[in-house]
Amino acid sequence: MRRFLPGIFFILLSSLTLAQGQLVTGLVTSSTETDGLPGVSVVIKGTSDGAITDIEGKFSLQVPPGATLVFSFVGYQTQEIVYAGQTRLNILLLEESTELTEVVVIGYSSVQKRDITGSVATLKADNIKDISITGVDQALQGQVAGVQVVQSSGTPGGGIAVRIRGSTSINASNRPLYIIDGVPVQVGALSQRDFGGQDDNALALIPPGDIESWQLLKDASAKAMYGSRAANGVVLITTKRGRKAKSSITFDIQRGIVDITKKIDLLNSTQLLELQREAVRNAGKNPDGLGLIPGVTDAVNTNWQDAVLRTGIMQQYQMSASGGSDNTTYYLSGSYRDEQGVQLNNRFRRLSGVMNIEQKLNPKLTLGTNLTLARSINNRVKGDNFLDGVYSGAVKSLPYYTPYDENGRIVGPGSALYGGFPNFNPVGQALLPRFDAFTTKILGNVNLRYEFSKELLFRVQAGIDYNGVEEDQYESTQTAIGGVLESVGGKGYGVYSTTTNSSFISNATLSYNKTLNEKHHLSALLGTEIIRTNSRNSSVQGRIFPSDDFTYITSAGIVDQGTSFKAQSGLFSLFGEVKYDYADKYLLTLGMRRDGSSHFGPGNRFGYFPSVSAAWRISEESFFTASPIHEVVNDLKLRISAGLTGNERITNYQFLGTWSAATYNGNSGVSPEKIGNPYLKWESTRELNVGLDVSLLEGRIQLTADGYYNKTSDLLFARPYPSTTGFTSVFDNIAELENKGVELGLTTVNIDKQLKWTTIINLSRNLNKILFLADSIPVYTGYQANGVDGTNVLQVGQPLGTFTGLRFLGVDPGTGNAIYDDVNHDGKITNSDAVVIGNAQPKLIGGITNKFNYGRFDLSVFFQWSLGNKVLNFSKETLVNSGQDIQNNQLVEALRRWQKPGDITDVPRYELSNTYNNLHSSRFLEDGSYLRLKSLSFGYTLPPNLTARLHMERVRVFASATNLWTYTKYSGGDPEVSTLDGSTASQGIDFFTLPQVRTLSVGINAALR
Amino acid sequence: MKNLYRILFTTALCIGLLPACKDTLEPKPVDILTDDVVLNEPADVNNVEIGLYNAFRTIAPATVIAGDATADMLINNGTFTQYQELGTKQITSANASVATLWSSIYQAVYIANFILERLPKVEGVPTSQRDKVMATAHFLRGYAYFIAAYSFGAVPLVTTTAIDDNRNIGRTSRDEILAFVLADYTAALGKLPTKPVNTGFAGEYAVQAALARFHLYQENWADAEKFATQVITSKQYSLDTAFVNVVTRDFPAESILEAAYTLTDDPGTNGNIGLNNLFVGRREIIPSNPTVVALASDESGDRFSSISFNADNLKGNDNGWSVAKYGTADQDNNNVIFFRLGEMYLIRAEARAQQDKVTGDNTAQTDINVLRARAKAPQIGAVTKSQMIQLIENERRYELAFEGHRWYDLVRTGRASAVMAAASPNWQSKYELWPVPQREIQNNPALVGNQNPGY
Repeated sequence: MRRFLPGIFFILLSSLTLAQGQLVTGLVTSSTETDGLPGVSVVIKGTSDGAITDIEGKFSLQVPPGATLVFSFVGYQTQEIVYAGQTRLNILLLEESTELTEVVVIGYSSVQKRDITGSVATLKADNIKDISITGVDQALQGQVAGVQVVQSSGTPGGGIAVRIRGSTSINASNRPLYIIDGVPVQVGALSQRDFGGQDDNALALIPPGDIESWQLLKDASAKAMYGSRAANGVVLITTKRGRKAKSSITFDIQRGIVDITKKIDLLNSTQLLELQREAVRNAGKNPDGLGLIPGVTDAVNTNWQDAVLRTGIMQQYQMSASGGSDNTTYYLSGSYRDEQGVQLNNRFRRLSGVMNIEQKLNPKLTLGTNLTLARSINNRVKGDNFLDGVYSGAVKSLPYYTPYDENGRIVGPGSALYGGFPNFNPVGQALLPRFDAFTTKILGNVNLRYEFSKELLFRVQAGIDYNGVEEDQYESTQTAIGGVLESVGGKGYGVYSTTTNSSFISNATLSYNKTLNEKHHLSALLGTEIIRTNSRNSSVQGRIFPSDDFTYITSAGIVDQGTSFKAQSGLFSLFGEVKYDYADKYLLTLGMRRDGSSHFGPGNRFGYFPSVSAAWRISEESFFTASPIHEVVNDLKLRISAGLTGNERITNYQFLGTWSAATYNGNSGVSPEKIGNPYLKWESTRELNVGLDVSLLEGRIQLTADGYYNKTSDLLFARPYPSTTGFTSVFDNIAELENKGVELGLTTVNIDKQLKWTTIINLSRNLNKILFLADSIPVYTGYQANGVDGTNVLQVGQPLGTFTGLRFLGVDPGTGNAIYDDVNHDGKITNSDAVVIGNAQPKLIGGITNKFNYGRFDLSVFFQWSLGNKVLNFSKETLVNSGQDIQNNQLVEALRRWQKPGDITDVPRYELSNTYNNLHSSRFLEDGSYLRLKSLSFGYTLPPNLTARLHMERVRVFASATNLWTYTKYSGGDPEVSTLDGSTASQGIDFFTLPQVRTLSVGINAALR
Repeated sequence: MKNLYRILFTTALCIGLLPACKDTLEPKPVDILTDDVVLNEPADVNNVEIGLYNAFRTIAPATVIAGDATADMLINNGTFTQYQELGTKQITSANASVATLWSSIYQAVYIANFILERLPKVEGVPTSQRDKVMATAHFLRGYAYFIAAYSFGAVPLVTTTAIDDNRNIGRTSRDEILAFVLADYTAALGKLPTKPVNTGFAGEYAVQAALARFHLYQENWADAEKFATQVITSKQYSLDTAFVNVVTRDFPAESILEAAYTLTDDPGTNGNIGLNNLFVGRREIIPSNPTVVALASDESGDRFSSISFNADNLKGNDNGWSVAKYGTADQDNNNVIFFRLGEMYLIRAEARAQQDKVTGDNTAQTDINVLRARAKAPQIGAVTKSQMIQLIENERRYELAFEGHRWYDLVRTGRASAVMAAASPNWQSKYELWPVPQREIQNNPALVGNQNPGY
């Protein structure tokens, strides 16, 4: 029974003995709580007599001579001292230097960390404190081995791609399953309107400041309890809980500025004009005739990046209260975050509250609830590849134009001050439209635990994750859509839409726990679960507004498109698990889940997901304990696991052949939508994992290494069909891929004196490969590009995220034309000369955190890197376009272009309307490796006398920075980009994507007395 | 034993949840119907017929792009690769416009085949309705294959809804396709109402108009003249007195069949093609300089109203002209013409001229002068046969501008090389047919190695 937290003992033991002996007073401190550690339990061993230290860390107790006093507190090593008659005791509690005895929640049960048989990584709140992050997914970046996190852009509250051990799927989701306090939550974008890759993010609604820990389940053993949803890994998030202690109230305040990490080097008016005139002349035309006149055309020189970008303000406030008594514990928290984006008019605000309460109703029955409420207001702007995007418009806009006229009014479409199509005044596009998304999240559960006996526990839980989004949008007559697009009417365009996604979960588990002869530990779990997900959405659009003073659809002249829709899906499951260990030496876990999913046809509705894992604690063997090596190696454990997991996350009703409503000429009818596939079934991943956990030098060095091989078969894929069938694709299980890799996590306490220096390193390498595609036809994805079928390809033998294109061999010094590799030697450069030119998957990713504590000072330095990944700088096909058009500004790189015979350069000749020199080729593919100082924070804890004078318990001030410095060879704005947010097959494309932002902030953490 | 109770309790709980389980695992889809129930009772017939028209209409804007952008009518003026390829005559098999036309044809064919297979088995459908809908399916399928034959040459002849067969289906010669078209047209002849609700739906004279065009393309001059005459003399249609109505209005008096796109129903004229967006919004494709000159000529007269000019647009390669047809979203004139009376006069004129009925009463001259009079353009006088043939070619350019005829006309009369070589330095004879979309070759094994020559 030592698996239970020590505190539970005191409650269970209820024998009453009268306290006798000497009255002892004392003070309990720790290295970080030098003034006194509150809440420490002080118990006379063998009795229930004891005390708890007060807010100042003091206690007083009657102690009989010769008794043993036990001091214990969560997170600290338990200390026992034999009482020798002192009247005053000063005790220094040592922090748990090893995390091995920590209890970790895995699946539906919890286990001591040292007894884990699978691959589980933990991230604690402490590791991410001071870093300005918006959502709970962002916290994972660079912190955990085997986890790749890419922020799609620098948009606040924007999309983030998290991949655990690579990507397992092409068409179904590749995002991990996130479970917060037992409730699976919505991931990905919530809003209906696509903003050119810069989506919103459901996980940005959950404040990271209320999170206690993240557990990442990475191998089959750990994930198997989540069966058909587990293939992409599982992230278990636990919110902060109250503890049995005096109430404490804390304030956390952080304020700072947000800036773009890099502006790209574009041409000024004079340089651009000269370049354009050359391009026109090379095409045999007269530049004057096209209105490109020196001294006139370039009379204005606007730096559009400066015009749309700003320094934003970031501020965050949190107040929380926690505490508890014998029967009740609580954690209450409220927080507000306000982050201005670096693009004009872009802002993300979030207000949230958390309430976690647990009440012991009687010795056997405990009732608890966890509730998170959040509301965000997201003022969005269009981005990426939109013609009317803000950042994209700024980098493409010709410097000849101005954002404001002489009266200070924003230049609208049709004005001679801004040329119009294909670009639009990006300042107007930022300031004039209204794209507001109001999102409400309710995440909560109630749970009930009934302890039949010490061995048998019944737990039942019901929870909800509700996400509601209202989108309120208007584009005025002075914008591209509202003013220019004729299909909208040129008189304003408004959209109002609502989306709700809610999932309900209910589960019940029965767990049994028994120790026989002190050696055999057996536990078993049986459970059932139901999950139902409903989504409802509606949208209405209005056009032809009387003027820009009327911006709601009630004033629209024509309201002609409206939709409403509902969909639901469900999962019904049974699961069980058996764990056995012999003397902590040999550990075995068996698990099985049976899932039924509404996503699949009747024939393949149910699936079984078994797993097995075993561990051998070598360090407990007698030959090991006897050897001198035991002095150094305190704990050595070998793990192996195998199992099957699934991925059921596809769109609803894919197995049905369906017809949907269609209209023609004022009549309603039906039109075929898709071909059914009754044989559709889950993607299944067979996983094998071997791992080693080592703890050296009293836990000062802890190492976890894992190697894995995962093979996913029956990949769900929209198999392309020829149109002669009447359809273009059918969903089918037709592909196979593998992920294999190694991971290393290392924590070392380098110095543990007055200066404490800790290093946390993680490294991972994942190799992904497509093993099989039905029809073995390459499937093109990504963007259409000049002269090829697509920027990306799915091809057997290649990983997901493979780039395709012509192979650029250089620039002919004689003609200045691009030279491409004529792969098939047919004398022509066509799409059939396209080859694989690289891929977006990194060869090595990782992070290193160094933490220093010296007295009251603390410093944390966190670097993160990605090595060997390629980024497609697709923007350059517009920004170094060799004269394909003269409607876009060009990069400074264009100054290196070929100009006369004999020029040796890598930028081809500029010639108006020539597309040959701008064909999609390896010229635009760049090394996206980077090393980034992801965060840096420096804190100082005020001395106690000063703190006391402020009537505070503890006050810490800090300064922190994110994305302070980046080393990369990538020539674009930022190597960490993905214009197609969340895409796996087409990741790593930079298409006018807003670079990451840098945050500089200061803050205070304070605990009230 | 106590533990056993607990286990039983849990099991009972699971069983208690089972009704919820069925509800959870088999949620009812909304807004969709499954294949097996879509056409099995009389009330379904109209719905599926509307579905057929919904798919079929996409052929119209796709044909406008093919007929006008492949020829010398339009040039590119935007950023989309597909129109750059068409405008500069560098068309590849990856071109999205090519794929759109191909797939719009086969989507219409699928529903037509679905109706032809299933409708005879549906009980309780009145004979008149059954005949009408069957005839509609035959006619629209025939037209789809007609466009296919003249756009792509030999194409797969899909006559069933058997998905597995149609995934691996080779090309059938153009002659056989055209024979099939004639059979479909003939099957529809006499079965459709002479006066449909409006000309958004096919009637008897739409079939006759299609036959007139079919025989014109086949150079069966007498049959072409016969069917054109039947339509002209039916008195169902009359030339609008002002040509501008043809440009700015839906359902002009001379409309025989048009693809309907109403304000509330896809005003962008198909999400994939969006003619008003292409022509007026983005101005991805604009009238070429020779087109502007031709339409501005005296001979063209009022047909100049097919294009419009805005000096603000004049810069760089942009000549400032736009296609005025297909209007804007709030002007309800997005319909695309399949057949109208003006074309019937042109077909008859050409058929008569080829039969040496060049000038005099009931000749090419009288037919052309009907259109000239309406366009307030000068009447034509005495000309030779070859002059008349050339004159009709020009007349078709004025009258049918941006209705998707020019490329098909130049190719069928053998004039493509001569005309297009002068218009574009990149023109090659391979462009007399569009390529089979690359996607089709990639996904249909029977098409591998069977691309049109030169692509």
